[in-house]
Amino acid sequence: MTDERSLIAASKDGDSAALDTLVRTHQDRVYGFAMRMCRNVEDAKDILQETFLGMVRSLREFREESKFSTWLYRIAANACLKKRRRGVHDPAPEQELSLDELMPRPDAEGRKPEIADWSDDAERALLRGELSGRMEAAIDRLPKEYKIVLVLRDVEGLSAEETAQAVGLSVAAVKSRLHRARVFVRRELSEYLGGEKP
Amino acid sequence: MNCRELFERLSEYVDGELSQELCEEIRKHMDGCNPCVNFAKTLKTTADLCRRLPSQPIPPQVAADLRAFLSEHLPKSR
Repeated sequence: MTDERSLIAASKDGDSAALDTLVRTHQDRVYGFAMRMCRNVEDAKDILQETFLGMVRSLREFREESKFSTWLYRIAANACLKKRRRGVHDPAPEQELSLDELMPRPDAEGRKPEIADWSDDAERALLRGELSGRMEAAIDRLPKEYKIVLVLRDVEGLSAEETAQAVGLSVAAVKSRLHRARVFVRRELSEYLGGEKP
Repeated sequence: MNCRELFERLSEYVDGELSQELCEEIRKHMDGCNPCVNFAKTLKTTADLCRRLPSQPIPPQVAADLRAFLSEHLPKSR
């Protein structure tokens, strides 16, 4: 009995070996997500432990209406949103990212803004190892409610529907936050790669 | 469709979530608007780059601590 559904069923019946396998299967995913959200090993460890404790305690409530990993992300996302990071001043969580502020503006004469296509430069910078740190820093500057959506959707690769389930928002709200978060990160990359003015 | 209206829908556009009709309107606008073309390309690149960020595997000690934490906090089972 090694497929996930069997492991979940056995874990619900109190089989500790099955439960251990279930934890091992998902521990890298949850840890990676927690590290991305808090950028601190001790905080990530707290979230990891809280997530798996929550998983075990509420496993009987898991009805397989979503993927198991999505359900687990939901527990981890709640833990992340509750957590205040050690030694870090988070951007105000209620801060709204306004599309009007993020949209490139016409110049003083009303001409359309110059937008560079830096896609190829980004690829080269990524291969040289220069870009990951900048991207992580840009993602880290997002208000938490936006960051969590971008991390789940674009970094972890969940669908909009799965992200909505994980963070308890409507799909429309996820898409709205994702767009603002992406535009924000894009702007930060543009300043580095394309010399675009904010 | 103007630049502002297009700007609002760009993530859905690059994610392939818009209707054929809206996609057609966007392409029509982009035909004559280089800034919007480049913005869309770099927005898509941003999303693609996120997916390629390296993930940190769990350190062995953190995994061991998790195991110890769970056995301490959970009732003994079979």
